[in-house]
Amino acid sequence: MGGIDSGGGGGGKKSVDQEIPLVPFIDLLFCCIMFLLATAVWNQLARISANQQTPSPNPDAEPQEPDDRVKLILQVQNSGYVLASSAGDNITIPKNGDAYDVEELRAKLQQRREMEPNRRDITVAPEDGVLYQDVVAAMDLVVGEGFPQMNLSDGAGLL
Amino acid sequence: MPIHTPQPVLLHKIPLKFVRDKVGGGGKKNVDQSLPLVPFIDFLITLVVFLIMNFSASGELLAQKASITMPSAANTESLEIAPVIAIDDRVITLDGNRVADTQTLAQQTQLERIEGLVQQLEQLKRNWSILHPNDAFAATVVLQADVDTDFRVIKKVMFSTAQAGYVNVAFAVNKIGD
Repeated sequence: MGGIDSGGGGGGKKSVDQEIPLVPFIDLLFCCIMFLLATAVWNQLARISANQQTPSPNPDAEPQEPDDRVKLILQVQNSGYVLASSAGDNITIPKNGDAYDVEELRAKLQQRREMEPNRRDITVAPEDGVLYQDVVAAMDLVVGEGFPQMNLSDGAGLL
Repeated sequence: MPIHTPQPVLLHKIPLKFVRDKVGGGGKKNVDQSLPLVPFIDFLITLVVFLIMNFSASGELLAQKASITMPSAANTESLEIAPVIAIDDRVITLDGNRVADTQTLAQQTQLERIEGLVQQLEQLKRNWSILHPNDAFAATVVLQADVDTDFRVIKKVMFSTAQAGYVNVAFAVNKIGD
């Protein structure tokens, strides 16, 4: 048990030594540890959110008016990235060997960001045959470069 | 030779009582021991602080499966409760119930909806609207897929979820960085 010894003592004075109850304090710490261990989450999982650009499941729904804004589209093809827009410009970033050239795409996205600082939306359009990890890497990069309103669409027929 | 009980024999023959008591163990030794509690409490506090830093109030919303290696990403958000579609190299499951075969979907080039998945998601949507009549429907599913999955399979799953009214897809990833 812990205690506070004021030293001195004797001389007819009353002792002012105090005992600190350490055992309840250790009990409390043990309870905290048990609770935190029981509720611990060891794997750090998170999510990347995307909206889908698909036809409405309801055939009776009224068709939406076409959006006249220029769309920015990142195609993830088996041969590399294509950063394009519905205005017609088209930047091809071929693969660097077997790997996608992520740094080049980052640079192109930053250039695009400087040209249109208010743009928040982009459409990521992977092709069939592209691996899921390459799609996620592209989406992660797009969100990190300041395009949080990300749509995911089929690569075919967008341009 | 007789057998004697083992005992101290050194200086035992000296004819002085206090010497015999001393060498024979008669002088009592203090057996009180002080436990070093302060380092022990320091250790416990360090452990508590470490566990609090790792504490997650949302709990474990998604179980990591042995057959699925999830991709990593840095720019992420926190997970939310939603139906979980898991895609490994063999089967596609919705909340643990098998709905399709991955290989079959990967071989079919046409974009077709997965009927089992659509029906189960529509059922979940109906249940949700009954249980939460005053809340807006989030229309979100969590997609937990293996890194080597062909996007063609992902596309069919996403098409099916959209057909069932779930247009928002949250891709589960391993969080890296801060």
